[in-house]
Parts: sequence; structure tokens; C-alpha cells
Amino acid sequence: MIIDDDPFIRDLLTDKLNQYFPEVKVIGTAENGKEGIRILNGANPQLVFLDVEMNDMTGFEMLGKLTQINFKTIFITSYRHYAIKAIRFNALDYLLKPIDLEELRNAISRFKSQSTSTEFQESIQQALVNFGNPNPKDQILSLNTQDGLLRIPLKDIVHIQGDRNYSSIFLSKGKKHVVSKTLSDLEEILADKNFFRCHKSHLVNKTHIQSQPNSFSIQLATDLILPISRRKRDEFTVWFNSQTWD
Amino acid sequence: MDFPTSHIDLSNVEAISRGDPQRMKKYILQFQELIPERLLLLKEALQTKNRVQIRQITHKMIPQLQFFGVREISVPISRLEYEYMSMSMEELEGIVSHIISTLERALDEVSKILKERFD
Repeated sequence: MIIDDDPFIRDLLTDKLNQYFPEVKVIGTAENGKEGIRILNGANPQLVFLDVEMNDMTGFEMLGKLTQINFKTIFITSYRHYAIKAIRFNALDYLLKPIDLEELRNAISRFKSQSTSTEFQESIQQALVNFGNPNPKDQILSLNTQDGLLRIPLKDIVHIQGDRNYSSIFLSKGKKHVVSKTLSDLEEILADKNFFRCHKSHLVNKTHIQSQPNSFSIQLATDLILPISRRKRDEFTVWFNSQTWD
Repeated sequence: MDFPTSHIDLSNVEAISRGDPQRMKKYILQFQELIPERLLLLKEALQTKNRVQIRQITHKMIPQLQFFGVREISVPISRLEYEYMSMSMEELEGIVSHIISTLERALDEVSKILKERFD
């Protein structure tokens, strides 16, 4: 099913699905969130392509109004929309308009191989909780890993160390998770969640910073000392000195 | 089919239509229908100097403009995405006027194609 207020996108996506993915049958389209809710309450789609920003409500608001979500969703959005960061933070899937065929192919492939709709429902519920909690300390980061969906409360992340295409996430209780995401990917998702890239290999949760022993290092609450790169020193010192420490 | 154009590029329309002239016509008619509606709204927003509305309208047009290869205004539209609140009103008006005039020329081209090839 396709829910988007732009008739061009509804037609284009329908044509692409019909032409290139005969195994996918478009059972309906809706031109706004209200109509989407009405149709979804009567139909039973396995997959919904859902516009992030419609005239009457956002895609997330629409999902929040449903009594039950027993389908997976691929969000569709225009390029560099602010919601992309939120979608990625919650490990949800999205496509950029006007829908590149290869990206659509990859998204359909992920839909077939990845999590069950129950897991997706949990992801959406978590995303809605995150949206309701603007304070990062109450939010939970979701990441897709080879072992399934990984959920980590942001307040538990002390720092993240990058190593090429992988990153190690160190938690406050000494636990570590390795994920196949670059440090830059994670920095992009976490930049406005109180995280600071102090070094090319380190992203630190500001709430776990204990002290600044000298201008080129940070001491964390776990006693670990991380380096600050030369070009980040001024930015960090200004922020550190502006804090009121208990 | 050969469509010599200067403001639009119909490669994507041709690809999705796979040589079916009716499907091609459907997309071109949709462009002819949707873009003037949005241009009207854009002109109104420009008159009232409503920066947020200007950004919303141009943002909404992006997929269709990308699909129809209206590359001449991709940079100005991208600038509006990020700088719609910070750029001076004079510059914003200049950019929006450029977008409007380019799209009006693109619409002329679309009308010509419809008349010459699909009538």
C-alpha cells in the first residue's frame, strides 16, 4: 500500500512496483493520513510505503493513531528532510523521492529478509516513544545488526570508538557492542543528542565526561581517558567551561 | 521517441514508460497539472513574503523536478532548503522569481511536446 499526498509519487511508485517487482501487488493508495488510516483499518497489507510529511499529518502521527500495526513500513521522503535522522536513529527504513530503482530494489530485499512485523511494530512503538521524549537521556537508539535489532538507551552509552566500517559502542556497565556502522554514520545520528566527536576515532556522550585533565584529553566517568584532536580543542574547552559541574 | 528539450529532460519519463506513449503522456499531463498549481501558491507566498511557505512549496516540487530533469534550478532549490530563513528577502525573491520563470519555460516546453507528439 502507498500513502503519499503527491499523486506523482503514488503513480511513479505504483508503476515501478508493477514493472520491476511482479511479486509485490499494490492493493491500494491513499492521498493523506486520514484516508490511510481508514484504508489500513480495513485492509491487511504486509508493507506500507508512507510519506513522512503529508498535508494533514506526518507519517509518524498517522502510525500513532492506528490501533494495531501489523505491517512493515518504508518511509518515503524528499532529500535531506529533517526526519531522516529520526528514521535512522530508530533503525527504520526509508527511500528518497523520486524513488531510485536500485534503492527500491534494496528496500524490497530488506523487507523480505529482515525483521518480523512484530519486531517492526516494536520499533515503531519505540520511535513514537522517542518522539514523545525530546530529552536524549530518555531515548533509545535502535541499530540493525547481524543478530537482529539492538536497542541501547542513550544514557548507557559512554563513548563510541570507530574503526573503518565498524564501531564499538562502550556502555556504562562495561559492556561493548560492535556494529557495522562508521563513526561518521553514528555521529550524524547522535550529533544533536548530546554527543561530541572529540577525535577522528572517538565519539563521546557528554553526560559521561568527568573532567578535562589537560587541553588534549577528556576523562570519562569510567576513568578512561580519550584524546581530543587539535582542531576540536577550542570547541570542547568552550563547552566544558560553560558547564556547571556538581 | 526523440524529444529535443532545453529546460526539461524526459529520460526518466521515457524509462518508466518503456515506450508506452499513453503512460508517457500521463506523466507529462501530471506535470502540466501539478506544477502550475504549485507555481500559483509560490507566487502567493512570494507576495506575502512567507519564507516557510516558500520552502514548503519548493520542497514539495523537488521529486517531480528531479524526475523531469529540470536541472537549471536544482541548486537554487537546494539553497532554499537550507537558507530559506537566513538569506536576505531580496535574494530569496530573486531566487524564487528565477524558479518561477524557469518552470514557466519548462511548462511551455511540456505544452509543445503534448501538442506536437501526443495530440
